[in-house]
Amino acid sequence: MTLFPLLEASALPPLTQPVIVGVALVYFAIVAAIGVWATRRTKNASDFFVAGEGIGLWTLAIASMASTISGFAFIGGPGLVYSIGIGALFLVLPAAITNTMGCWVLAKRLRLLGEIRGLITIPDAIGVRYRSRFGQGISAVSIVVATIGYTATNVLALGLVITAVFGVGRVPGIWIGSAIILSYSASGGILAGVYTDLFEGAVKAVASVLVFAYVLMVGGGMGGISQSIMAVDPSYLGPWGKIGPMAALSFFFVFGIGSLGQPHVVHKFYMLRDPRRLKWLPLIVSCSLIVSLLLYFGVGIAMRALVAGGRIPALASPDDATPTFLLHFTPIALAALVFSGVAAAIMSTVNSFLSIGAAALTHDIPVAFGRRVKDELLVGRLTTVVIAVLAALVAQGSGALVAFLGIFGWGLFASTLVPSLAIGLNWKGATRAGAVGSIVTGLVCTLLFETLAYMKAYKLPAGVTASGLSLVMSFLVFFALSWLTRATAESTLDPDIRAVMEA
Amino acid sequence: MTHRFGLALVVISMIAVGLAYLLAFAAPGLTGSLGAWCMIFGIAGAVVGLMMLGASRDDRSLRPLLLPLAFTFAVLMLGFGMGLVLPAAGAAERLLFGLPLRAAIIVYGIGLLPILVLPFAYARTFDALTLSDEDLARVRAAAAQLKGTA
Repeated sequence: MTLFPLLEASALPPLTQPVIVGVALVYFAIVAAIGVWATRRTKNASDFFVAGEGIGLWTLAIASMASTISGFAFIGGPGLVYSIGIGALFLVLPAAITNTMGCWVLAKRLRLLGEIRGLITIPDAIGVRYRSRFGQGISAVSIVVATIGYTATNVLALGLVITAVFGVGRVPGIWIGSAIILSYSASGGILAGVYTDLFEGAVKAVASVLVFAYVLMVGGGMGGISQSIMAVDPSYLGPWGKIGPMAALSFFFVFGIGSLGQPHVVHKFYMLRDPRRLKWLPLIVSCSLIVSLLLYFGVGIAMRALVAGGRIPALASPDDATPTFLLHFTPIALAALVFSGVAAAIMSTVNSFLSIGAAALTHDIPVAFGRRVKDELLVGRLTTVVIAVLAALVAQGSGALVAFLGIFGWGLFASTLVPSLAIGLNWKGATRAGAVGSIVTGLVCTLLFETLAYMKAYKLPAGVTASGLSLVMSFLVFFALSWLTRATAESTLDPDIRAVMEA
Repeated sequence: MTHRFGLALVVISMIAVGLAYLLAFAAPGLTGSLGAWCMIFGIAGAVVGLMMLGASRDDRSLRPLLLPLAFTFAVLMLGFGMGLVLPAAGAAERLLFGLPLRAAIIVYGIGLLPILVLPFAYARTFDALTLSDEDLARVRAAAAQLKGTA
């Protein structure tokens, strides 16, 4: 089993209505204004890649939530809930735990490392932790490959949303979407991204709560929704939904533990102005995340109940769940807000990926070869444009290929970064060989398993995900190689890194 | 001590997850029971082990966090475990807060209960265990001193 079908993009029903178009235009104008403002404040590479370590707690928390949730949570996610029931929740259930876990495991140490060493990327942290330019380089390569694939998937989704709202066609939609994101990403960098994330996160949260209220009204409360479904298909609301326990638990494992290796999220720890403000970060992020995920759960389950009760015909495609619910059961203004929220979610995720991809190309890969780019700000801006154009070109390809690249990218982050980062920053016994071995293992296994699945050359047993298998193998290789080379552990630790690890 | 325990828990948990996947390859018939239990233990152990690893400091006791961490381990083990062992009652299954009992345990128990405990435990112990003003000053001073001698 792979995650491939989860992200395969499909067309949305037409949404070309004056209110929806108007709200979308207002939304894009606000994003552009934030971009102009951020560009004026972006003076150097630190501003461009880590917002000059000057972001406050609330802004950082909401921006973290916003970049965690992509457009999938608004369209594909409810569609998945509609299809497989409770089983689809195992992708988001870890949210109750992962933010606190991330703060204990990574936040303090990354923030302090960023401050004392001037780090701007996640591969930077791997490089200084293990005193390994190769480790920094290979993790940067993984990030670049994953970034292009994941960005392409999201740009395609944005193209589909723009096509549905403005009726412009898929390819123009992709390029219009890319141009809008580039208008603030290439000039204002992550600073623009963080403040648009703040705006977008607020839109998402408000829209999600309002839609959930309509879900309860339309469905007759949670009890009414459950009874409608159970009368027709009780297994849909079983503890694992329409998938088995192993598949559901695999989702939880990959999305829970794998969250520690999502660079677009953990990279934000560098940006916090005052590290002591980390104290309240898990609470704010966790609560805002749960609120924003109400739509993911509510719309999918409500649509299943409405179909089960015979109030609407079965959906032609699961991805129709959100558009159908919004257009039939909510006021048009709320529908417009949610469709803007979908575009918002995609744009905030893409901006984060463009930033980390550009940083890897501009900063990490040259450092791995012992060189530094002279003007990282200028080259960073140019690289952002190059990645966005590449991603848009890939997005124009077949939907299946784009989805494959997105999955490949997503799995790579978890399997290549979690052991070397999450364990490595907390265990002095971790060695360079362990880190490099786990990154290479994650890279090879993810590529191998996902490619075999894509080419239909091999089918994994029921309940086994390629991402989960790659992640656990990466962990085991990390521990085994670190143990075998334990005599070298002390030699890879610089005194200031040791001070941070002991703090 | 807690640091070593956390590390050992993560290692054992990863072996358990690996075993669950190995069983899925070698003996697919067992994955419904033994494999799923290995996976449940692997998830609960990895989550709690990673938290212990991140929160523990050489010079400080992790005692204030033992209860929240034990709670998290119990919620994950019991929540997922009850999903496995409780019998399906079909359309007649009792509702809890609007969801069938087994689904409610998963959604409310695992998806919401930890939010009522973990972020508050993190905040409550932040000054003592995570980062005080003194800790911050010490790290900054150490880094400045090393820079000065370099």
